[in-house]
Amino acid sequence: MDNLQIENNILETIKTAFKVEGKVVREKRVEITAHKQLISSILLFAKNQHNYIHLNHITCVDWIEDGEFEINYIIWSPTTKNTLIIKTRISRENAQMENIDNIWDQANTYEREMREMYGIEFPGLIGEHEFILEDWDEMPPMRRDFDTLEYATKTFYQRPGREDAKDVREELTKQSGEEIPEFAKKYSREK
Amino acid sequence: MTITENNIKQPIGEYIQNWARKHSLFVLAYGTGCGAIEIPPTMTSRYDAERFGIRGAATPRQADVLLITGYLATKSLKRVIRVYEQMQDPKYVIAFGSCTINGGMYYDSYNTINALDRYIPVDVYINGCMPRPEAVISGFVELQKQIASGNAYNATKYKENLEWYRENQKKIIKNWRMPDYNW
Ligand code: SF4
Repeated sequence: MDNLQIENNILETIKTAFKVEGKVVREKRVEITAHKQLISSILLFAKNQHNYIHLNHITCVDWIEDGEFEINYIIWSPTTKNTLIIKTRISRENAQMENIDNIWDQANTYEREMREMYGIEFPGLIGEHEFILEDWDEMPPMRRDFDTLEYATKTFYQRPGREDAKDVREELTKQSGEEIPEFAKKYSREK
Repeated sequence: MTITENNIKQPIGEYIQNWARKHSLFVLAYGTGCGAIEIPPTMTSRYDAERFGIRGAATPRQADVLLITGYLATKSLKRVIRVYEQMQDPKYVIAFGSCTINGGMYYDSYNTINALDRYIPVDVYINGCMPRPEAVISGFVELQKQIASGNAYNATKYKENLEWYRENQKKIIKNWRMPDYNW
């Protein structure tokens, strides 16, 4: 596997420039984990020096067990056709992240969405607080401690008739005699 | 003078009125959810809904039937209510897909309503996820039967029970900035 040269190169440059962790995931995919204060400099470096000019996506993952949000910046370079993923963790309490919409204008949209769906604040972010949801006054709904079933039960009218709904996985394993894996048991409907 | 058809007795004026209404259903399709994809085959040559006098209308004020084709986000519920209130009498609602009946597979979602008839009166429900064009047409035929028998008076029911509907609607649409229509 010597053809990962471009990937290794970019990983090494960023590693030496910023002293961060990272790895080559596979062909055309490099992943870097950095402290949140380094993010904008890494993004600028990658954009200006290595032609990662395209922002694919900014995503957020709620690691409620660790009390943290993970923010992933996914950028792409049209010259090497390589994807670079830059990960950072921020605390769930008073979640705050640097606003990067001066690097890519379209980051504004993703950041507004994260502000609404996860309650992450981006100081200096321009745009209405209300983005997709209308008249929302509960906890940001994409946080994992938001119980959607409970909210739906109290807000909307549940029509009776779902009580005997069966769990597809359980029904199938009963028929085939297969074991349900341990990790899947906690999602069981038969409590 | 009355006329009896299918064991239903009606004054002749009403009979003619209903007969005309049931043969020209102008449909405003509110294409929400996945079900909207079944509307083009229903309307075009394969199933040709125009055989039954069913055809599209451009605006709410020209339409007789409001067709809701799937789950309604709380946000689109607001638009649906406005559209429904703009429609002229006689007006009917056909709700389409299990999402409008009991939430379907989005029953635990934080932003889709579960039972449409709490917010606007529904004349015919078509179940299925999603219903095929045959089912859609059979739903329309069911509506035509209701119209012919003089039982499709849901728009009046809405006016009479407006407070109950408003209460349910305002539970979802907290910031009520809607025009009042005087029908
Ligand atoms: S009933 Fe099924 S097809 Fe229709 S909107 Fe709901 S999920 Fe989609």
